[in-house]
Amino acid sequence: MSLLPDFALMLLILIAAVWTVSARDRRDSVIGFIVVGLLLSLAWIRLNSVDVALTEAAVGGGATGLLLLRACARLGPNETEGVSLKVSLRILTGVLCTVVAVALATIVLYPIEPAPTLAPTAAAHMGEIGLGNPVTVVLLAYRAIDTLLEKVVLVLALIGVWALTPDPLWGGAPGSLRAQHSSGPLTFLAQVLPPVGIVIGVYLIWNGADRPGGTFQGGTVLAAMWLLVMMADLREPPEIRLHTLRRLVVLGPVVFLVAGFAGFWIANGFLSYPPDLAKPIIVLVEAALALSIAVILGMLVAGPAARAPR
Amino acid sequence: MAEFLYVTAALLLLLTGLGLARMLWGPSPADRMMAAQLVGTGGGAIALLIATASGATAMIDVALVLALLAAFAAVALSLGEPGTQQRDGGANS
Repeated sequence: MSLLPDFALMLLILIAAVWTVSARDRRDSVIGFIVVGLLLSLAWIRLNSVDVALTEAAVGGGATGLLLLRACARLGPNETEGVSLKVSLRILTGVLCTVVAVALATIVLYPIEPAPTLAPTAAAHMGEIGLGNPVTVVLLAYRAIDTLLEKVVLVLALIGVWALTPDPLWGGAPGSLRAQHSSGPLTFLAQVLPPVGIVIGVYLIWNGADRPGGTFQGGTVLAAMWLLVMMADLREPPEIRLHTLRRLVVLGPVVFLVAGFAGFWIANGFLSYPPDLAKPIIVLVEAALALSIAVILGMLVAGPAARAPR
Repeated sequence: MAEFLYVTAALLLLLTGLGLARMLWGPSPADRMMAAQLVGTGGGAIALLIATASGATAMIDVALVLALLAAFAAVALSLGEPGTQQRDGGANS
């Protein structure tokens, strides 16, 4: 198989990336960013990293683009004026970025022989966990503490967004996501797509145990479906003072923490699982995490409260 | 057969790349978003072809996600058009 198509893909990614950085209009940059994300997921496919490709497709192509476009719409047309950087600072940024890129390329092209790797050790103990997907094993068993902290960061991010709420509006609902003019096709899409999308999201979460997929990808798809319904004005965003909403936000991290502390009694310590119960515990934690991720991402896009509580 | 599928995928990549020209030239954001949509659709097709050619069925899921989320960014862009950004329910309501 010739490498020519791969070079073409690389070239496309580079062109799209340069254009994203240099685009004058903020919204054009976001569109460029979405395109880079889509192309990158193809690159990950070519590298046989299906898990990363899925994440890139779901997060880079879908969720981040939506988040950034919403931010653009919120900012208004003229707010980038006055923040253009000085030429010297731009050159410095460019030089530093080039240094990082060249250093990374050097490491990839001239690796240390033999490359230090934990892959054989990781693969040797996969049987004890009982899962078939090495990525999930690393994320939820070997390096579970990283994943736990990552989910806590998501909760903190949401608290940060909510903290932007003006005092009189605290506890109210975020501003409506809908367009001024309701559109028939959008309503139709929001009625037809979510049932399919929810099945695919749950499928990705369930699949994560043994095949590529996982909580973040599945959670993002679920969040996207919820956002579509809100954008088509079939449902309003919920008020942020609702206890159900807040419980859903912390559900994932809490279940993860409980499972982690339970490790003291049923296994060897914090975040360790007994071999025969490892898979059920991990699947339970993943399901709770995915639900929380979906709610958090949805509320992150919806933004701080913009209406007084009823 | 696998060779043929790979060549088709490469051809699709080439055509998608040509579609990117629309993103570079524009001129309106809608044109650019259409180019992004084309990359999403083409990307899904390429993922399907590579999945079939290489036998890695998990890649089909990537195509599934690409197809599912393709419409999202376009919806968000249409909501964010300058004329429609004064949503009700703001601080003044």
